[in-house]
Amino acid sequence: MNKVSSKLESIRRHKFFSEYSIILVAIAMVIIATILEGQTFLTGRNFINILRNNAIQGIIAFGMSFVIISGNIDLSVGSQLVIVGITCLSVLNATGSTILAILSALIMSVALSLLTGFIVTVGRVPSFIVTLGMQYFLRSIGIYIMDARGITGRVASYQQISNYMLFGWLPLPIIYFFVMLGISIYVARSTIIGRHIYAVGSNEKATRLSGINTNRVKMIAFAILGVTVAVAAIIESSRMNSINSTSSGQTYELNAIAMAVVGGIAMEGGRGKLIGTFFGIFILGIINNILTLVGMHVYLVNAVKGAIIILAVLLQRKSRD
Amino acid sequence: MSIALQMTGINKSYSGVRVLIDVDFEVREGEIHALLGENGAGKTTLMNILGGVVAMDSGRIQLFGNDVTIQNTHEANQLGIAFIHQELNVVNDLMVYENLFLGRELRTSWGGLNTDEMRRRSTEVFKKMGVDIDPRAMMRSFDASHKQIVEIAKSILFDARLIIMDEPTSSLTRAETEKVFAIMKDLTKNHGATVIFISHKLGEVCEFCDRFTILRNGEKVASGDARLNDGACVNQVELAKLMVGHDALGTQHYEAREIGDPVLEVLGLDLPGKYNNISFTLHKGEILGFTGLLGDGKLALVHTLFGDMVARSGEVFLNGEKISITHPSLARKRGIGFLPPNRKENAIIKDMNVRENMTITTLRNYVRRLSLSKKRENDIATDYSKRIGIRMRKLSQPITTLSGGNQQKAVISKWLLAKPEIMILCNPTQGVDVGAKNEIYALITELANQGVSIIVTSDEAQEVMRICDRVIVMYHGVIQGELTHEEITEEAIMILSTGGVLAVG
Repeated sequence: MNKVSSKLESIRRHKFFSEYSIILVAIAMVIIATILEGQTFLTGRNFINILRNNAIQGIIAFGMSFVIISGNIDLSVGSQLVIVGITCLSVLNATGSTILAILSALIMSVALSLLTGFIVTVGRVPSFIVTLGMQYFLRSIGIYIMDARGITGRVASYQQISNYMLFGWLPLPIIYFFVMLGISIYVARSTIIGRHIYAVGSNEKATRLSGINTNRVKMIAFAILGVTVAVAAIIESSRMNSINSTSSGQTYELNAIAMAVVGGIAMEGGRGKLIGTFFGIFILGIINNILTLVGMHVYLVNAVKGAIIILAVLLQRKSRD
Repeated sequence: MSIALQMTGINKSYSGVRVLIDVDFEVREGEIHALLGENGAGKTTLMNILGGVVAMDSGRIQLFGNDVTIQNTHEANQLGIAFIHQELNVVNDLMVYENLFLGRELRTSWGGLNTDEMRRRSTEVFKKMGVDIDPRAMMRSFDASHKQIVEIAKSILFDARLIIMDEPTSSLTRAETEKVFAIMKDLTKNHGATVIFISHKLGEVCEFCDRFTILRNGEKVASGDARLNDGACVNQVELAKLMVGHDALGTQHYEAREIGDPVLEVLGLDLPGKYNNISFTLHKGEILGFTGLLGDGKLALVHTLFGDMVARSGEVFLNGEKISITHPSLARKRGIGFLPPNRKENAIIKDMNVRENMTITTLRNYVRRLSLSKKRENDIATDYSKRIGIRMRKLSQPITTLSGGNQQKAVISKWLLAKPEIMILCNPTQGVDVGAKNEIYALITELANQGVSIIVTSDEAQEVMRICDRVIVMYHGVIQGELTHEEITEEAIMILSTGGVLAVG
């Protein structure tokens, strides 16, 4: 046991490993899959499938990263997606306007996130509790409104948002995914609010005493997540042309958290990069794919996923000196 | 009298900086021995070695005549060494006896907790010490001195023969201090204990201690008896000189400077439980000191001025305009800067590098179009770090890798970049070594010369004497007195801060 932990310690101590372990893991997985089943795995079609299947939760993972970096967590995004999706499709059906539908989704989603942020900051209730409550609350309201059924869109062009193929082969959600990634990296690295979010997550007291309105910063982190949830809800509702109040968005919050954490976003806040989240999404995304290719039983897929989540965080853990 | 502890040739370095240099330290059995020195002199490091908290690089330790090696706190405990830290290790939500036996609980033959026996032994210890404490009282209900007494009781309970107390009196009132020392004296005279008492309060040496040792910059510079043969106290001025060193005393220049018009006027500020009816005026280019013992309300007061706390009533005027600052961000906009106490907890953003820590308050200044310009940020941080003399490898190294003094300079420069009109500095040289201390004093003085109005809170009389134009002494939340620079003496501050009144004339 001691030997194992000291070995682990020496691996961690290499800065290279702690900074880039996630990229190495991603590369290793690609190599393994290529060796085993290169002809099926290393194809454009396969990668497009992987990205397309993970675009929606991946986009939420970007927003989740900001909230986690700010020192909070949000367990309600799956339920929030349902409410936002219902709002979006209802407005769409009522007005026939795609623009109005998108706007209503954004407003509803950001408003819900700000409400969460408000209770967390001004009410000083831990975000875990607030968002756990919100998860139940929003899901229940959605199911009640829809009478446990779904809502279907009645404007055909709305479906093009998710189903149109650029150049005939590139699904638009992948474009949205990379645009959101680009914006997220930009906000995290090169804006004042991005810097403030890191500062709040690292030492809230010191940030406040630096003359920064930390409550505002945390609310904005939640609002950013709200925007990404809105985008995810729009893609989801347009892809299927419907939102189901009971099944849509289930476990999205946990998947988004897992993606961020595997990507090196520290649960205690203050540390992690958005590009890491991208690799986290990628790694968790190709596991399914790889395991199917190597012929592992489908029931064991989540066992491997769970192990990878723990392993990734073990490797990234900064050695305590 | 036999020797309880003999430390010989102790050396210790932290990342290349020698904090202890060939230190010899001798304590006799049954005495209260004062270990004196400024912050950063090496007192705590030396005691940490003895307590098994840190390992020494080289040296020899003999305890009651035997060579010992102490690798961790557990071994220290087993050798009969008890270390009572400055920040008391008590759990407020447990009862007294539960605290006493924390981690060393007694069990019945069934494996359950033997509460009866634990209580009985607790009562026994308190009786031995001559104090009246109910073992079943909640720890929370006690003041600092009683908590300290419980900590002492813990060391007696587990047969400690050598008790180390790290600045035990810094949080105690005068009466509480006397009570604690009466107990210590009884323990050493009648129960065979030996006490090492870390302090930088000279007044307590003669009054409570038998002998003293002085460290300065990691070296032992003197040791001797607290009382001379004729019973008179050892000369405190001499002790102070030994502690500070002649070089440091030589730079103790204060130059009167021009004081301008009132900038900040405070009228009848009140926050029940913290401070009452505070009124004072701060002038342009003035360094105004606030001092007093812990619990005097000065920190709550300056936190209020910066908007981190909100007063119940009272008025604050900035340049004649009535202002209401309810959040630090509003204070920043009004041109008030703030160096908080306890740097690690309140000022350092640990996951960020030096540059990011320096620029966090003024990010707006580095925006080009919509984005932060790393280049602009870097240029300004480079410029300021050079001007203030932050010693580091590069701006992108983690702030936590800098020494205390350089961290402090980085935090101060964070506010200098914001060009404040008023700068509030809480304990600016807390946890800073002597050299950096002088640099920080020079920096504060220079700021005042440039016309910045400065409020400094400090627990050290010498610090106040050295830089302040005027000092307000607080006692239990009220202003007990005000001293001009000429009137500032250690005695005057001591009298006022313990609730006394200065005789007129």
